[in-house]
Amino acid sequence: MSSHREAPEISKDPVADNTDVYAFVSPDNPNTVTLIANYIPLEGPAGGPNFFEFGDDVLYEIHIDNDGDGLDDITYQFRFQTTLQNPDTFLYNTGPINSLDDPNFNKRQFYSVTRVKNGHKAVLAEALASPPCNIGPFSTPNYAALAQEAVHRLPDGETVFAGQRAEGFYVDLGSVFDLVDLRPFQDLHINPLAAAPGVNGTNRLNVHTMAIQVPKRMLTRDGSNPTNPNDPRSVIGVYASASRRKARILGPNADIDEAGPWVQVSRLGSPLFNEVMIPLGLKDLWNTKPPKDDKEFLNFVQHQEVPQRLTEFYPGVFPNLAAYSKPRADMVAIFLTGIPAGVIPGFQNFTGKTLADLLRLNMAIPLATTPNILGILGGDLAGFPNGRRVFDDVFTIELRALAGITIPLVDPSFTPDAAASKFTDGLTPSDITSPFLANFPYLGTPYSGFDNPSS
Amino acid sequence: MPKFTRRSFLQQTPISAATLSLLPAAPSLAAIRQSPELAAPRWSATSNDSMVIHVNDVATGEITLLVGAQEIVLRDPGLVAYLIEAAR
Repeated sequence: MSSHREAPEISKDPVADNTDVYAFVSPDNPNTVTLIANYIPLEGPAGGPNFFEFGDDVLYEIHIDNDGDGLDDITYQFRFQTTLQNPDTFLYNTGPINSLDDPNFNKRQFYSVTRVKNGHKAVLAEALASPPCNIGPFSTPNYAALAQEAVHRLPDGETVFAGQRAEGFYVDLGSVFDLVDLRPFQDLHINPLAAAPGVNGTNRLNVHTMAIQVPKRMLTRDGSNPTNPNDPRSVIGVYASASRRKARILGPNADIDEAGPWVQVSRLGSPLFNEVMIPLGLKDLWNTKPPKDDKEFLNFVQHQEVPQRLTEFYPGVFPNLAAYSKPRADMVAIFLTGIPAGVIPGFQNFTGKTLADLLRLNMAIPLATTPNILGILGGDLAGFPNGRRVFDDVFTIELRALAGITIPLVDPSFTPDAAASKFTDGLTPSDITSPFLANFPYLGTPYSGFDNPSS
Repeated sequence: MPKFTRRSFLQQTPISAATLSLLPAAPSLAAIRQSPELAAPRWSATSNDSMVIHVNDVATGEITLLVGAQEIVLRDPGLVAYLIEAAR
């Protein structure tokens, strides 16, 4: 998956498991950029009575590098606090929840937002309310209104939301993890079956989302408004993380003591980076590292396992890829440095020589009049890997890139195999039951437990 | 020296008054590393914060104190010996 349960240790700690990161120019407010970090993978909507929630003991952060050194220049920190209105009931809610301060809303979460800029901390807001999980038509009869009530405008110009949303990352998990037996192409697989449509393995599941919309000029290194795509100041690098305190002591009365500095346990910039590039034995280590140290993992970006597996599982389909043995400079550019000017006409998101897995967004690229879910591969410069929009088909984009479609950008002597431009798991946003929203926070209304009892 | 394998363990406060009294007095006590979050208030004897002591290396007497958001690394074989004795 993008980064759901992607490493051994974090797969046992879902509350801190960063599943997806998005960064895009807000389509309805193009003077701003929206940054989204999702956590808690594969939430079954009916998972009560203790429905999913953020961790009070987790430090959630969205990091922005705006000068290309791989280090944070701006960090938004989110800390949560859970309260019980009535500790004497086992119920999450004791009646319909019609507002965020409804007395029936028993188990609530509030959060603070702190901005750290060039080392200086500023608490932007405290006690912001999160919405409840979507329980069902009796408990949460107007969920969209509850979620809208949980969109908060901050004094400095940011807008935030933190709460449950519908999973927006679409992928055919069942086929991918069955040795990349992609249903539309399984007739070509080493274990051939009749070709079939893809199945969205994350449909009707929820996640927990932190979303913040920030005026562009608050993200650039010098406060300028990014209008020139060729200007390095127009590019930011984004990643998200989760950290836990170094020590945790379980007390005799269900009390928990924590001490020590925060230790990063999860991070995510580009989708699928840790998932498919970093080998199993190093994934936990990668999660603890800052992006600026990603040169340690350069070899895995230059020499990827997925292309080898594609040639193994689809014999004869990728002969040119099978014969290609050079380090994958295209992968290094896409994931670790950004794409320099001159490679794709009218585009760059290059941040310099520092090798760091960041989701790089050129904020000066205009919104697409006709967005293409294949992003830059589909001729849409406003999409992945120029940042990432909620609807971008990052699985197919990366699959095709790994299959060699992007090698000619850096090595014109290479001719991609015909299949490289066609490979896909066969999914589109129409395979998501709860559609994306046109407005902040853009991810769809979460699925209710009553209506999705067996997801 | 008691039989004790080279391992780490966690010890939660409250630390005995005797242990606390060792900290400023121990001649070998030396803070050799600190976490970057030094802006956080330092722990004091009147603080309600727990202090977690992690013995990193019995052989060298290296200890990590986790208190508040701080991490302080010390080297004090005498204190480690005292803790090992207390753990018997």
